Amino acid sequence: MDLSQYAELFLAESREHLSACNQLLLEWERQPAGLTPVSGLFRAVHTVKGMAATMGYARVTDLAHRMESLLDVLRRGAHPATDELLQLLFRARDALERAVELSVVGRERELEVAEIVADLDHAALRLARAKVGAAAEGPREAGGVTPSVVPPPPEVEAAATGRLVQVTLRPEAPLKAGRALLVLKRAQALGVVLAVTPPQTAFEAEDFEGRFSFRLDSPAAPDEIETALRAAGDVAHLTVGGEEVRGSGLEGLPAAPAEGGRSRHIRVDLRRLDGLMDLIGELATARGRLNQLAAERRDPAIDDVAIQVSRLSSDLQAEIIQARMTPVWQVFDRFPRLVRDLARELGKQVAFRVEGKEIELDRTILDELGDPLLHLLRNAVDHGIEPPAERRRRGKPPEGEIVLTAVRERASVAITVSDDGRGIDRPKILERAKRDGAVDAHAEALTDDQLLRVLARPGFSTAETVTSVSGRGVGIDVAMTRIRALGGTIDIRSEPGKGTAFVLRLPVTLAIVRAIIASVGPERYALPLTYVAETVELGTVTTTVVEGREAIVLRDRVVPLVHLRRLLAVTSDREPARAPIIVLEMGDRRAGVVVDGMLGQQEIVVKGFDAPQGTLPVFSGATIMGDGIPALILDAGGLL
Amino acid sequence: MSHTVLVCDDAIFMRTMISDILAQAGFEIVGEAETGSQAVEKYRQLKPDLVTMDIVMPDMGGIDAVREIVKQDPDAKILMCSAMGQQALVVEAIQAGAKDFVVKPFQPSRVLEAVQRVLG
Repeated sequence: MDLSQYAELFLAESREHLSACNQLLLEWERQPAGLTPVSGLFRAVHTVKGMAATMGYARVTDLAHRMESLLDVLRRGAHPATDELLQLLFRARDALERAVELSVVGRERELEVAEIVADLDHAALRLARAKVGAAAEGPREAGGVTPSVVPPPPEVEAAATGRLVQVTLRPEAPLKAGRALLVLKRAQALGVVLAVTPPQTAFEAEDFEGRFSFRLDSPAAPDEIETALRAAGDVAHLTVGGEEVRGSGLEGLPAAPAEGGRSRHIRVDLRRLDGLMDLIGELATARGRLNQLAAERRDPAIDDVAIQVSRLSSDLQAEIIQARMTPVWQVFDRFPRLVRDLARELGKQVAFRVEGKEIELDRTILDELGDPLLHLLRNAVDHGIEPPAERRRRGKPPEGEIVLTAVRERASVAITVSDDGRGIDRPKILERAKRDGAVDAHAEALTDDQLLRVLARPGFSTAETVTSVSGRGVGIDVAMTRIRALGGTIDIRSEPGKGTAFVLRLPVTLAIVRAIIASVGPERYALPLTYVAETVELGTVTTTVVEGREAIVLRDRVVPLVHLRRLLAVTSDREPARAPIIVLEMGDRRAGVVVDGMLGQQEIVVKGFDAPQGTLPVFSGATIMGDGIPALILDAGGLL
Repeated sequence: MSHTVLVCDDAIFMRTMISDILAQAGFEIVGEAETGSQAVEKYRQLKPDLVTMDIVMPDMGGIDAVREIVKQDPDAKILMCSAMGQQALVVEAIQAGAKDFVVKPFQPSRVLEAVQRVLG
């Protein structure tokens, strides 16, 4: 059987379990007396072990097995978490992760696991002994007797899962213990072996006649199992029973319902979805052309077909976009561990909370989010949260709080990283910005927007004086560039002594968006609806001038105007008197974009766009219109 | 192409006998070793498809040799050659990574069966 085709699947699933391990370890750290996290860890590691054994990754299997043994001792002994145990398990988890990654790329032999394996075994043995010691000391006096008996191997489990396998070796087979062990080894290569009866240690006894049984938890079919095990040699009889569900009273039921309909999901390579998305993009373009033709021909038959094709391709588009949606926890789940480790390293106390884990984003966007969020979280721990002593002096609880939240807003998702730390030192930043000429020398304070603009200036952030004194800034420019490239925006709110929040806003999906098509001079431009609040007409609303900028007053709010015609230096024709204004809204910021005309709404396929040098930073991409002529897509973030 | 074999036993008699059984069945004997450490060294040089390994050898025993070889190559296919009564040692060898075993005195058919199982 060629297993290489399963490697990617193995990797993906193992990563999920390893990520879960991090969460569970953190949970256990918070509730050291809790047993649920340990059971969860046991199951996760157990699953990785079974998969690795099936793949033939011996070292991964071995490492997982040692880890599982220790977890089993902890689980049975209801052992509370200690710092030492947690550190060991975190280390083991990391080693297992490396083992998994290396194995998949065929570099398993580069693994160095001897040390962690020894530590795991040592810990398991010590705990097991302590347990036996404690039990033995009960009735007796606390004598200094070192117990030499280690409890039986953890494999024997009352409610074991898997198929019951019964084996009888040929009566004439020599060294039956060896043969029986070979059968077990072959079984282990197929999955996880449990509840070996009689226990393996009894195989070497004089009266072992070569009859034994065990449970095998394996994805392999019964006949595959039988063939594989019989190949161990000298097997007279072998039966493979039905699958058993964990827990008592359920024996004999099929295993599927326990998994909660898991079989209804399949994994699809992301590249497939990307390919599909490209095709649908082209279909959308073709549909646009068809609609245009239909409109020109005025033939009811063609019209009907055009409408039908439109509807079908819209549905198809919606389905594929939905298929690409991924819950944010897939990226968020690695942060608790990172925040914890960083806080420990820096001597900070941090409670980290994640909210809105189930909010979904396009996979491509989500994949790009990890690094910017990491930058922001790092800054929050490093520069935001004060050391415990300083917090106490300021009358705050010694433990700081960092919250990562995802919230769905119309067609975008807002992701907030907030801390209750010291806030950004505005005077310091202002002073520095003045020196750099980034703001007017007479400015007395920085608004949040100005602050962000200053912080996000490339190079500014890396200036040591700033980062060491007031903190913040590290990587903000990097994060900002990344988010902008995704059509998103960053906002900042900061209050001295109270904390800082960064708000990232991202479109839910990248590839296809609904946009308003506007004209300026001879050109057409697309404005994604994601950030469009409303449209009004110039000349029907009150205009005013605020801080030297032309603005309109809309329901008691002042909205500054951007004349696209002037911005793009279009000189042909004249601006119409009643020019439409497209009002953009992004968080608290608003702006009215004045265009020549509005040509309607349509779905556009966003194509990447490498802006030539010198291009105004107001375009985020390009699209092909129904007539095959390209149009530029305006970037709401850039216009605000 | 025929499978290559490294035969490890401190007794010339046993080496010759195993070599003959395997050669007649079409295997290519690429090397022989008299001690465990020789076995490890020759395995490294020759990378044979199969190793037959005596349990008791001077210098380094067969079981330690299995451990060393498996450390170099987790996929190494090693067939233990044991005597009756060496149950505990065979179990230890399998735990160390040996893939199968045959029991002396050798019957050619049983040796070849075991070799087939090991080579899968």
